[in-house]
Amino acid sequence: MLGRIWAIALNTFREAARIRVLYGIIVLVVGANLAAIVLGQMSIHEEQRVARDIGLAGISLFGSLTAIFLGVFLLYTEVQRRTIHAIVSKPIERWEFVIGKYLGMVVVLTILVALFGLAMCGMLTWQGVGISGAVVKAIVLAWFEVLTVAAIAIFFSSFSTPFLSGIFALAMWALGRVTPDIQAAIDRGTPWIRTTARIALELVPDVHLFSPSGRMVEGAVVSVHADFITWGYVGLSSLHALGWIIGLLAFACLLFQRRDFA
Amino acid sequence: MADIVIDVRELRKTYRTPFRRKKVEALRGISFKVERGHIFGFVGPNGAGKTTTIRTLMGLIRPSGGTATILGHQIPSRIARSHVGFLPESPYFYDYLTIGELLDLAGRLFGMPSAARKKRADELIERVGLDRARAQSLKKFSKGMLQRAGLAQALMNDPQLVVLDEPTSGLDPIGRKEVRDLILELRDQGKTVFFSSHILTDIEAIADRVAIVARGSLQSLGTPAELVKRTVLGIDVKIRIADDVDIATLTDGGSHVRRTAGELAVTLSADADLDAWLELAHRAGAKIVSIEPRHETLEDLFMRQVASADASAGATDGRV
Repeated sequence: MLGRIWAIALNTFREAARIRVLYGIIVLVVGANLAAIVLGQMSIHEEQRVARDIGLAGISLFGSLTAIFLGVFLLYTEVQRRTIHAIVSKPIERWEFVIGKYLGMVVVLTILVALFGLAMCGMLTWQGVGISGAVVKAIVLAWFEVLTVAAIAIFFSSFSTPFLSGIFALAMWALGRVTPDIQAAIDRGTPWIRTTARIALELVPDVHLFSPSGRMVEGAVVSVHADFITWGYVGLSSLHALGWIIGLLAFACLLFQRRDFA
Repeated sequence: MADIVIDVRELRKTYRTPFRRKKVEALRGISFKVERGHIFGFVGPNGAGKTTTIRTLMGLIRPSGGTATILGHQIPSRIARSHVGFLPESPYFYDYLTIGELLDLAGRLFGMPSAARKKRADELIERVGLDRARAQSLKKFSKGMLQRAGLAQALMNDPQLVVLDEPTSGLDPIGRKEVRDLILELRDQGKTVFFSSHILTDIEAIADRVAIVARGSLQSLGTPAELVKRTVLGIDVKIRIADDVDIATLTDGGSHVRRTAGELAVTLSADADLDAWLELAHRAGAKIVSIEPRHETLEDLFMRQVASADASAGATDGRV
């Protein structure tokens, strides 16, 4: 079983490594980090803050967008190009195929996040700022965000077209980022709006957990520039991510199991 | 009792169109059995249900009704698929892989150890004549080369059953002959081959048993000899005759008349007076080139059965 899943993951990695857009995104993120140096110099004694904010935003934004892009295309193109016919006719279960696809994406996205993180750390070092534990924690959280978004994209891609999957995944990610704000807003609405919105918000992962900087955590405002979250928080957030990833992949496998590849 | 490799009973598949939800019956209760060691030819026009049947057997499509077993396992079965090699119709593979990488992927999915994968891949690459294309990505392969690559990946696990969907489609005559030879070689190795084709001469030449499908239903099933009537349908006569000779009396009552420079080919009806006709030809100064009785071919049977299926479907459509 593991051998078959790994075979699919390895092939997915090979496939993704050939997508030129990914190299464009890497250049863009490195460019954003370089731009952060310029922007930092334009600010007044805020170089480090600008460098960290832009670096982390780059990982979160471009990592998540890449995850959506890969998630909606890699599974769909297998069906559309009929390459899947020669695969699922082999002794492999469909769920193994979906998991293999996801793990292949995890490898690609992990390498990307590592490269983004290295670019950011390089920039911070160049500016003479040490790489703090807070930065490392923030990068780890961003990585979990990217992996969760990849699972969202795979879930939609298991039954929908790339365009619709992209829209749905983007919407779910965006909503997940601002759930506390929406919650605060709807608390002022009518009872039925409150109930509907609460149910709707239960259906999206709390992606905001992965970018806590500037938010209230356990009654105090945390910031990657000052007092940041603990490793315990990172562990709990990773469990939240893992729960959603397992749930989304389980549904994706169920839906994929029922599909006809005509 | 014969060892049954594929047992299909009342297999049905109904699709619904996306918006109007109209029912489309791709398979209407197909039943047949394939015995071990046989070459089983599956024939039908476009849209007959051949590919739907094959994809259902291979677990790509879920049947709407009926049952099917492969090697005694109810489909879809991962265990059964581990003993089956499958070549899809117009195969699409990952075009960034080389033939070696494609076979390695197939071997991994079959759970083969690394050394066995490499050894088997080398054997098959040589067997299908792709040795010189080892370094090329599949993107640069011609259609014929892709078909060979498809055959190689289908044989990676040394399967008991080989399922080939249109294996000779798009191949030149040499490629078709090579595929036919390969299928015969597989049977000689004791494997069972189930293949679909539009090319009736291929089926007639190598199949032990033939099933003709049309409009999602089985029309005929049996050996080519059982299916095709051995009665004489006509007599094909070819004579050499001067170009300026009037041939009206010779072609009168004949069919399939073809006159080329210095030759005349004509098909006489089965009950025609051949002696009288030859006498006429002699008088006209003709020399006999060949006389052959014309039997029903698989193509004749196929055309008849497809027309019959179309007619009955038309009658049904008319009643609705």
